[in-house]
Amino acid sequence: MKQIKPVLLLLFIALFALAACGSPAEEPTAVPEPTEEPTEAPVEEPTEAPVEEPTAEPEEEATAVPEPTAEPTEEPTPELRTENLEGETIIFYHFGDLSGPYAAITSPLIHGMEDAVAELNANGGIRGATVEIQFADDGGSVDEAVAIYDRFTSEDDNPLIMFTYGSGEAEALTSRFAEDEIPSLTSGLSAVAFYGEGSGYTFGLGSIYPDQFGAFLDYAVANWDEIKPDSAGDEIKLAYLSWSGAFGQGALTDETRAYAEELGVEIVIEELYDLAPTADTTTALLNAQAAGANVIWTNTLAFGPAALMNGIGALGLQGEFVLAGDNWAMDLATYAFVSDPALTVGMYAPLSYLWWNDVDHPGVQQAEAMFAANERSMTEHGVGYLVLAAAVDVAAQAIENAIDEVGFDALTGVDVQYALTNMGPYEGLQGVLSLDFSDGSRSPHSGQIRQIQGGPDAFNVVQDFTDTPDLRPAK
Amino acid sequence: MAIMRPSGDFDRSYKQDMTVIRQRWQYILLIMTLLALYTLPMYASEATVSLINRIGIAIIAVQGLNILTGYTGQISLGQAAFMTVGGYTSTLLMTRMGLNFFAALPIAALTAGLIGLLFGLPSLRVKGFYLVMATLSAQFIIPWVTRTLWQDTLNGAQGLIVPVPVINLPVIANQCFLSTTFNAETAQCAYRFATPSQFIYITLTVLIFTTIITHNISRSRLGRAFISVRDNDLAAELLGINPFAYKLRAFFLASVYAGIAGALLASNLRHINSATVGLNDSVLLLGMLIVGGLGTSVGPIFGAALVTLLEEIAVVLTPLVITVAPDLAGGATAALRPLIFGLALMLFLIFEPRGMAYRWNLIKAGWRLRPFAK
Repeated sequence: MKQIKPVLLLLFIALFALAACGSPAEEPTAVPEPTEEPTEAPVEEPTEAPVEEPTAEPEEEATAVPEPTAEPTEEPTPELRTENLEGETIIFYHFGDLSGPYAAITSPLIHGMEDAVAELNANGGIRGATVEIQFADDGGSVDEAVAIYDRFTSEDDNPLIMFTYGSGEAEALTSRFAEDEIPSLTSGLSAVAFYGEGSGYTFGLGSIYPDQFGAFLDYAVANWDEIKPDSAGDEIKLAYLSWSGAFGQGALTDETRAYAEELGVEIVIEELYDLAPTADTTTALLNAQAAGANVIWTNTLAFGPAALMNGIGALGLQGEFVLAGDNWAMDLATYAFVSDPALTVGMYAPLSYLWWNDVDHPGVQQAEAMFAANERSMTEHGVGYLVLAAAVDVAAQAIENAIDEVGFDALTGVDVQYALTNMGPYEGLQGVLSLDFSDGSRSPHSGQIRQIQGGPDAFNVVQDFTDTPDLRPAK
Repeated sequence: MAIMRPSGDFDRSYKQDMTVIRQRWQYILLIMTLLALYTLPMYASEATVSLINRIGIAIIAVQGLNILTGYTGQISLGQAAFMTVGGYTSTLLMTRMGLNFFAALPIAALTAGLIGLLFGLPSLRVKGFYLVMATLSAQFIIPWVTRTLWQDTLNGAQGLIVPVPVINLPVIANQCFLSTTFNAETAQCAYRFATPSQFIYITLTVLIFTTIITHNISRSRLGRAFISVRDNDLAAELLGINPFAYKLRAFFLASVYAGIAGALLASNLRHINSATVGLNDSVLLLGMLIVGGLGTSVGPIFGAALVTLLEEIAVVLTPLVITVAPDLAGGATAALRPLIFGLALMLFLIFEPRGMAYRWNLIKAGWRLRPFAK
């Protein structure tokens, strides 16, 4: 008897596993009628019509989600246009890192969304429907982000849009967004998330990092004589000093390496430093100097560029390098970590949106008024607030367009995705953020080159909006 | 601590002595627990199921570390790196060789085991803090390899998208049952483990097997040899135990468990790169083991559950803290998570260094000795 017990136990486990597979089962699925003569008949001729189309190619499913070309679920009809959705609610889901390494930049993003949504609702919401926000902190952990995504999707069987903020999160969730047909606007500008296999529902609030890197290289090559350090020769020798991980290494792809080579820019060294405010970059900087680098690119934010600036200051290497970084690197958050604000001066970054010092621009004025009305702290007067305020405008417009197409009751994420890809060039927040997701593009392809030319906020334009090189990854 | 049994529960044979589940009520309790776990998606929210999933994967990784650190006394800070090996291997086997997840899983585990064996080699010459440094090297070398080498295959820092695990079931009477959908390519019914409510069945099943194996290792000759190496390797050698061989076996087993956990994690996240699990996770896993109780079967379960829940508390608390004190955003709030973990670890080291498992045994003993227990 005793010998049988372990066997019984294992049998129980197997039975549970088998039963568990069927736990969510409701109706058995009929095998669809074959459309052509099968080479071998696995089953007899089906006698009943299929309940639903086969939906899964299991192994390839995560990697081969088709390029979304979905039509709206219904044809547009004029009567679907409505201003009267009072009493209805549309939820903007968003999740980001408030308790981890990216917290410094996430907080303004969240408040930017909150204020923009409050203003949107004050102005009648989306066709009268009130917009609500659901936020969750993922602590910078992809694991946590996936768990939050699962929570949101289990609580709402028809989420219309989500916002994410990290490259890691965007990459991990991109196949889920596509599979569950939920469009996502993200500030994690990893190329893989937008253009990798299994993507299609992830849209960027800025140019992808490879495009940004390429845009800066274009600028540096064209203006080398003016911007080069005194000690530098005619050749651009670049050091890629950054964090590890999807974000930190996001600009260094096969495409960008080839592009740099094409432009005659030599990437002489690649070094990593810690994702921490206290990171010591002096070794990396000395290695870069020893390798003959005259340009440094960093794909970091907040304390990331600050660590390099502090290192440059500590080593007395001011003027030895042209320092450049991704769009998030050029932010007020950096000033909280830099030992001397003067060390920030001279840094370049490609920005695909306007900045707070474009005070004459009506969109910036609108953001400024919103910021003041909500009595936000000046520490949040940064990139996150501005970009998210514009992103809310983009999302609201896309949903409005989708409602016009299919009506509110039939509205799904597919329709919002269709609206995003078909709204053409759109000026979010009156042009603070210009986006165009048509022709298979899911991120902006133009940007300015700005340089820090003084104290906080003096992020001045040194090259106006131009097309960025298209360095999307080959699938 | 002495094992206390209820009155009348005694052994008549060695076989009986080896029995794990001794009482009828224990069987009933076990079956009820399994039933409760396997039916979890029916009554618990997706968020809860997702949390249990994560705890389950963490338990498997900590069980491996328990064999190495808890039983054999070899401290390792490379467990997360071996998880990375497992995650990458299973992904490559699925995407490049077309293997099913369930075939890829054991191969991934073995691969991680072999890599772990390599990093265990220094245990021949060094111990204590020096061995920690040797294992720490795995935490730097392996992510560097996945990030830098074979970029065509491993896709550099961007990593790989991981396919959803699938099982194919036969078509019965032209119907696909059990929530499966017809797959035209294989002409079979496919069940995809895409959501937490589906993936939990893989996690639970694997966890049950690893728990049975871990518990039995601790009761076997192998486990006793591990413990003798931990307690006094010189004495163990005098008893005919080759400490180096057993240390290597412990490294291999720990890495196998890490490989399994890594493969599960990658498939659960559907993405893996060099930063998916890092040094922080290795420290966290070690912390889970300390909090749970080194060298006990239930320690990894308690530790992984508690630390994961503490992390959840930090995640829930942070937005609340920011609502109350917006100026703390990005600064103090970023410290909340490590603070909570550090505090828990510190309190356990001061007040219960033997971990939750010891406390659990005290509670059990107290219950059995009632009404005489204090």
